[in-house]
Amino acid sequence: MKNLLLGHRRLIGFIVLAVFFALVPLWVDSPYYIDLLIVLMINAVLAMTFVMLLRTGLISLCVAAFWGIGAYSSAVLSLKAGLSFWACLPLSTIITAVAALIIGYVIIRNAGFTFVIMTTVLAMLFVTVVGNIQWLGAYNGISNIPAPDPIDLGALGSIVFDSKVDFFYLGLILFVIVILVINAFYASWAGRAWNAIGLNPRLAQSMGVNVFRYRLMSFVVGCAIAGLMGSFYAHYQTFIIPTAFNLFPKTIYIQVFAVLGGVGYATLGPIVGAGLLSLFNELFSGFEEYSIIIVGVLVLVVVVFLPRGLLSLGEIPARIRDWRSRPGGGGGSSTKVAREPDTPPGEAAGSGSP
Amino acid sequence: MISRTTPDTKDILRVDDVSKHFGGLIAVDHLSFEVRESEILGIIGPNGAGKSTVLGVISGFYPATRGRVFFEGRDITGLKSHQIVQLGIGRQFQSSTLFMSLSVLDNVFYGFHLSYRTAVWKRLLRWPSALREERELKARGEEILRRMGLEPVKNEITKNLPHGHQRILGVCIALATNPKLLLLDEPMTGMNQTEIATMLDLVRGIRDSGMTIAMIEHNMTAVMNLCDRIVVIDHGQKIAEGLPKEIQDNEQVIEAYLGKDELLLDG
Repeated sequence: MKNLLLGHRRLIGFIVLAVFFALVPLWVDSPYYIDLLIVLMINAVLAMTFVMLLRTGLISLCVAAFWGIGAYSSAVLSLKAGLSFWACLPLSTIITAVAALIIGYVIIRNAGFTFVIMTTVLAMLFVTVVGNIQWLGAYNGISNIPAPDPIDLGALGSIVFDSKVDFFYLGLILFVIVILVINAFYASWAGRAWNAIGLNPRLAQSMGVNVFRYRLMSFVVGCAIAGLMGSFYAHYQTFIIPTAFNLFPKTIYIQVFAVLGGVGYATLGPIVGAGLLSLFNELFSGFEEYSIIIVGVLVLVVVVFLPRGLLSLGEIPARIRDWRSRPGGGGGSSTKVAREPDTPPGEAAGSGSP
Repeated sequence: MISRTTPDTKDILRVDDVSKHFGGLIAVDHLSFEVRESEILGIIGPNGAGKSTVLGVISGFYPATRGRVFFEGRDITGLKSHQIVQLGIGRQFQSSTLFMSLSVLDNVFYGFHLSYRTAVWKRLLRWPSALREERELKARGEEILRRMGLEPVKNEITKNLPHGHQRILGVCIALATNPKLLLLDEPMTGMNQTEIATMLDLVRGIRDSGMTIAMIEHNMTAVMNLCDRIVVIDHGQKIAEGLPKEIQDNEQVIEAYLGKDELLLDG
């Protein structure tokens, strides 16, 4: 019952946020700020896919590379094969998913440190390989990627993608769908299996979770979502260059978004993290070279003092209540079995820390 | 206690000439024994005798170096741990291996992984059958907690539980996988007398509900009280097997224990 209410509260919060986003173009008419919001949505989704993999205990440093696979396959399909954006979007998502399946099948067997190194190599390899293929425009990239074809609404006219606001709404629709899909995954037994693997792979195995298969599943789902955003990005930007999909700074920033918001908050954390950093870059837009230092300091401060991210600030009142109620009666927990005097101190005191 | 095991009872698990080497270390050495249907088998032995390794081999966490393991007549040697759980061997871990940051009920709920039948996309669309399945499993989880006496603390965060409750929760998670054979690795370690008495009742209750249990335990009083049969392991080899009474009088067993630690037999 409590969970049900909580679920509704989250859903209401989500709807309010989506409506708020949808209304932004009504009072913001500067294309510059609309562009910032579109980039924010893309960044937030990429950070969500990073968190998704992190949940299963995998640290992927090639999020941006799969984003790039989506962008490049969409650009090629539309320019070389002459397909419409509406065909490119699902096709490039599928291509990215297949690529993730093949690559993941090879590299996920060695989880842990090896996986981190493998994904780092992959991220660098993507840029070098694409940058040296003339057919893909080498380091000059691909330009003149066409905008989506107009949607014909019959008597109501048609939606033409000729301004940033149109792309903003298209991006917002994708954004909402992706968040719903990600949250549905987490709510399903697949998401619980991911969570179980991340929390304790041995215990997950003893529950019958096929660790390799579920890690591969999260890798494919996460990369496919990144590929979808890549396709949208390519057609929005109209040009792509390989270095945009590099490990540094793109993937590193993606992690920063996730960590700033809090990796425990699968969808809201990345939105808050990406939003905050965009805001920061705006505030310090005059002096670029200092902004990166300030961002670095901010990340350090958050990691040290709020290891569970900025959103964990919201949990402090509940924690204080919890802490206050405990010394007086222990919440009635030790009724049947007497409390063990030598409980490991780390376990007992763990929740009292900030 | 009257032993439930008669000579013609079916073997549910057979460990056949199993060895396990870790590099040059021989943890288990040509070990053979069987677990009979609906008995409580105790596996005892001095520290470092290889008892936990045996459970690890049975449940697929370590591949056996030599020998075979049969479960219900089927060769399960070399299967992965998640496949072995699927066949019906549940296990509890020696240390408190739990999802410490989750609630007690969620720990059990996660354990139902194998019980899900509906496809993920149905859950994505909030299909009624998927939601119903989830409600049913949640109810089953509460039922397990009720049976094991953890219902009053079902919404507590696991790391805040006292040690005794955590051990019981480990058993609850194993029960959620719906096993036919339950492997317990020192379920009573670090417990006080009251907690041990509770655990004894719970384990008996589980057996009476039709499950077979094989357990490692150091507490001799508990083992002698609870187990129908006992296998004694020392240096990876079986040195004795029989009813608790026979084991207590077995000279080789007394030697194995007294040679190392006199206090253990006092319980």
